[in-house]
Amino acid sequence: MNERAVYETFEALFALTDLRQLFRETKPLFNFSEKQREEVRRVLERVRRSLETIEKETLK
Amino acid sequence: MSEICDDIELRAREELFINIHPIQAAGRLTAEAMKAMIAYGDGYSTCDWCLAPFRLDKIKRPPIEEFHVELANFLGMDAVRVVPGARRGFQTVVNSLVEKGDVVIVSSLAHYTEFLAVEVAGGVVREVPLNEGNVVTAEKTASKIEEAKRETGRLPKLIMIDHFDYQFGNEHDVRGIAKVAKEYGIPFLLNGAYSVGVMPVNGKEIGADFVVGSGHKSFASPAPSGILATTEEWADRVFRTTEMVGDVTGRRFGVKEVEMLGCTLMGANIVAMMASFPTIRERVKHWDEEIEKVNYFVREFLRIEGNQVDSETPRRHTLTKVDTTGSFDRVARTHKRRGYFFSDELKARKIVGEFAGSTRSWKLNTYGLTWEQIKYLGEAFQEIARKYGIPVA
Repeated sequence: MNERAVYETFEALFALTDLRQLFRETKPLFNFSEKQREEVRRVLERVRRSLETIEKETLK
Repeated sequence: MSEICDDIELRAREELFINIHPIQAAGRLTAEAMKAMIAYGDGYSTCDWCLAPFRLDKIKRPPIEEFHVELANFLGMDAVRVVPGARRGFQTVVNSLVEKGDVVIVSSLAHYTEFLAVEVAGGVVREVPLNEGNVVTAEKTASKIEEAKRETGRLPKLIMIDHFDYQFGNEHDVRGIAKVAKEYGIPFLLNGAYSVGVMPVNGKEIGADFVVGSGHKSFASPAPSGILATTEEWADRVFRTTEMVGDVTGRRFGVKEVEMLGCTLMGANIVAMMASFPTIRERVKHWDEEIEKVNYFVREFLRIEGNQVDSETPRRHTLTKVDTTGSFDRVARTHKRRGYFFSDELKARKIVGEFAGSTRSWKLNTYGLTWEQIKYLGEAFQEIARKYGIPVA
């Protein structure tokens, strides 16, 4: 396994932390603005990319 | 519901609810601090690159030394140490200055840990009475100094006054008090537990010899964390290093600071403080908007017949003491859930942090809420009032 999988694990956690922060800013109704939706998309994309690397590195 | 492990439930109240708890608001972590907790949670994580002289505030990677310098500048002071909570800041100063029987002047709204710090050192507190607006003034502080002088035949050793108190969130005349302290030649400790990290605080401009802050109350940091800042004049005394020598081994630990008991905030706590610091520096510039928001909320809150605000108004802090004896408590008297009906209603609207079951005198804090959340909060209180037939103007 390449150490990239470890770094990508942190990257995914950090991206999800940004999402957590977004929840904090929009609670309790979670009415996301367009800018916030864009941020959600960015986070999800980042996490997906990390997961792909982790999967490739650990299960290959 | 998710669990961290057996019996430790997940805490997601900051993500799911508007939390108006009086002491939790400004200690909520920034995203950066949460990331620091993830990466630096291991016990001695900040010790990876601890090189000579082997002291926390000298570590360069992560840049803890640089943080200390910047933090001192941020507070307008010369030297700073991070400590495990504001209380350890009080204790450090009191231990360094006060001997058995010495008098320390505190506010009538002083936090209990100020009392304990004085007691540990063998001193005695003398409280400055409040004026009619629940504020500590310079004049009353001077009178108390004179009273203590008459009583003991000597001047108090320290004056320790809260910038904003924990009961009303009122602002006290710290500049005037600092002036009085100077006139008498008594060192002045500014308790900034509710101001350092949320609003601009410059210790030297105020005239303080010591500034104490709370990481977990007002600096978006995990508990326990705090700040003790001082001037060149006092730094050598409060941050004095050990002179002890082991009688068998001859060992010395020269660089270690006695009052700090060596290193203080090792690991995630210091790194989280550092990670929040850029946000802190920015957010203190927007204190006016926080005040605007709390005053908006107060106006909405006071539209409910019977509601009162016990803190000074207009508000100068987001921590506010309110009284709902004439409104929600009237409902509680006949409700089967008694005062808990109010908590139930708030929780149903995703609001937590009130003192559960209390419908008379209680405190709330609006710090950090967005305008949308502030408006939601005001409307939620009014909605509950209307539901129970309490008139809303």
